[in-house]
Amino acid sequence: MSKDKEILEGLADKEYEHGFVTDVEQEFIPKGLNEDIIRLISAKKQEPEWMLEFRLDAFRRWQKMPLPQWAHLDIPEIDFQDIIYYAAPKKDEDRPKEIDPELEKTFDKLGIPLHERAALAGVAVDAVFDSVSVTTTFRAALAEKGIIFCSFSEAVREHPDLVKKYLASVVPVGDNFYAALNSAVFSDGSFCYIPKGVRCPMELSSYFRINAAGTGQFERTLIVADEGSYVSYMEGCTAPMRDENQLHAAVVEIIVEKDAEVKYSTVQNWYPGDAQGKGGIFNFVTKRGICKGSGSHLSWTQVETGSAITWKYPSTILKGDNSSSEFYSVAVTNNMQQADTGTKMIHIGRNTRSRIISKGISAGRSQNSYRGLVKMLPGADNARNYSQCDSLLIGDRCGAHTFPYIENANNTAIVEHEATTSKISEDQLFYCNQRGIGPEEAVGLIVNGYAREVLSKLPMEFAVEAQKLLQVSLEGSVG
Amino acid sequence: MNELNVSAGSVLHKVYRDVGGVPERIVVEKDAKADIVILALPGTSCDMKIDVELVGEGAEANLYGVYVCDGNEKVKMAVDMYHKVPHCRSRQLFKGMAGGESRVDFYGKIIVAQDAQRTEAYQENHNLLLSDKARIDTKPQLEIYADDVKCSHGATIGRLNEDEQFYMRSRGISLEDAKVLQMISFIAPVLENVKDDAQRESLLSEYESNIRNIIRNM
Repeated sequence: MSKDKEILEGLADKEYEHGFVTDVEQEFIPKGLNEDIIRLISAKKQEPEWMLEFRLDAFRRWQKMPLPQWAHLDIPEIDFQDIIYYAAPKKDEDRPKEIDPELEKTFDKLGIPLHERAALAGVAVDAVFDSVSVTTTFRAALAEKGIIFCSFSEAVREHPDLVKKYLASVVPVGDNFYAALNSAVFSDGSFCYIPKGVRCPMELSSYFRINAAGTGQFERTLIVADEGSYVSYMEGCTAPMRDENQLHAAVVEIIVEKDAEVKYSTVQNWYPGDAQGKGGIFNFVTKRGICKGSGSHLSWTQVETGSAITWKYPSTILKGDNSSSEFYSVAVTNNMQQADTGTKMIHIGRNTRSRIISKGISAGRSQNSYRGLVKMLPGADNARNYSQCDSLLIGDRCGAHTFPYIENANNTAIVEHEATTSKISEDQLFYCNQRGIGPEEAVGLIVNGYAREVLSKLPMEFAVEAQKLLQVSLEGSVG
Repeated sequence: MNELNVSAGSVLHKVYRDVGGVPERIVVEKDAKADIVILALPGTSCDMKIDVELVGEGAEANLYGVYVCDGNEKVKMAVDMYHKVPHCRSRQLFKGMAGGESRVDFYGKIIVAQDAQRTEAYQENHNLLLSDKARIDTKPQLEIYADDVKCSHGATIGRLNEDEQFYMRSRGISLEDAKVLQMISFIAPVLENVKDDAQRESLLSEYESNIRNIIRNM
């Protein structure tokens, strides 16, 4: 067993490989948050009046909202006046159209190509650096099919009707504390619209990078899949290693019309802080989709390995009859990380179906919670839900918790939930060792097998990355 | 506070027909065992809250509950199961059905303290929703701070299985009888834990006549 312990400890010691800082000239706005700051952000982004009004309304509501306290998290006090709400790399005035080579290098290092290369033709990227979108690739190729894929700021300017129609239609401004904050100060993010009957020919992806110190990132993503369309969307994120905590409060809204299908995948790898729990990102995000039309489908897949604190519940409102949704999640916490994550499935329409598979892995001194809601409303005839939440504990100082809420008000609806908590069994380890597989490899094998059901749902580009991440995140925690 | 202490090495078996009489706190000491059966019959509304604390190694607690509602009952049951020391076992099985305009709220949490290794804790809550005006909410929870544990919970809310009904009807059993059989067998795993044969038999027949009534009025 002591050998195992060493290996698990070794796993945890592995450095965070995306922790570097890019040295570019950046412009900041002053610290703090008030109506002037919001006007300044809006002006910087050359937004129309209605957008500014939207922000101010959100800010006024946010000021009256209390901090949410219900999560199983120990969140240090956050001084919202001590955050810079907008930071952007300066553009070269002589060549405003070109991407700063430093930024290009940064994204290259992260494995995100900003140039359209034949080898990676399968993925279109919107790269967001602090508060602005650096570039969006393959726009022309996508536009041929009528697909709009651009930064949120551009969408506000160029497609105001679409933005006005869908913005805050799934996550209302006053939905919760962090959603309201985001609505007031959001900087950039991605906008995506798939027209009727179009199957998006490539994976769309957003990559979020926090670089500047003392800032927060507040991105906003809006995905609209019109009737009969299909899109697979991926999201990735990293940040430098710093001793301070940085706030990331995003809002993602997804609208799925009749017979459309959206697959949303996240690999979350924000800086988790060091082994003593110093630094790291606070990842407080609101993600919600609505299956608006009949027969629509929304699938969430997430691999959560980073962030000091995660507070995240990607949810689906199943409004259309016969619509369906899935939530697949692997959440890994190590050292002093805390995660309170899960999903909500709100069944409104008839014959709606949902499936929840959540795999938590906690190691070190971390706390990992699953929190979920399955709600069957009176009209959800013959609705069906199945949830399975498993937790794996590695080490005797971590915690794994499960908090499902199940509410049923329809006597034809069926809800099933099961959860288990255990550690890697010594029998399994012994079996592997006996066949010449070392303890570290064995743990990797078992953890990967444990998470396989979720990992197999990821797009190929992500699956390899996620598997590696899983290994790295657990490094040094075998015990 | 209505408290019950199960002293070291002793065994306690108790059946509560009156949910109001259930103790608010049950403490189980070293190598002791508590077997508690809680019965809520039709017409009973309740707001029950129990804390069970396993405070000595080798302690064991088994909680079984059944509720049958057909009118406008409000049944609330909450159990906090604290595993404070290593080598304890607990099992919870709560089953019930809600018809009429009744409301059922179940909450059950298993809390395993740090260092309470070798804990085995299981909890199940299964429900049948019999009418479209009734409502069932369930919140099974796990809060676990030790790693060498086997803990699980399961919860379901559903309706009577139609395949089973078809199977029985194709063998000449009327739909009404089939439903009675299904519902009796649904709650039987809880009633089985009533150790006294005569008491168990009389409870079974009492529940059967209640269930027949419910089906007739459905």
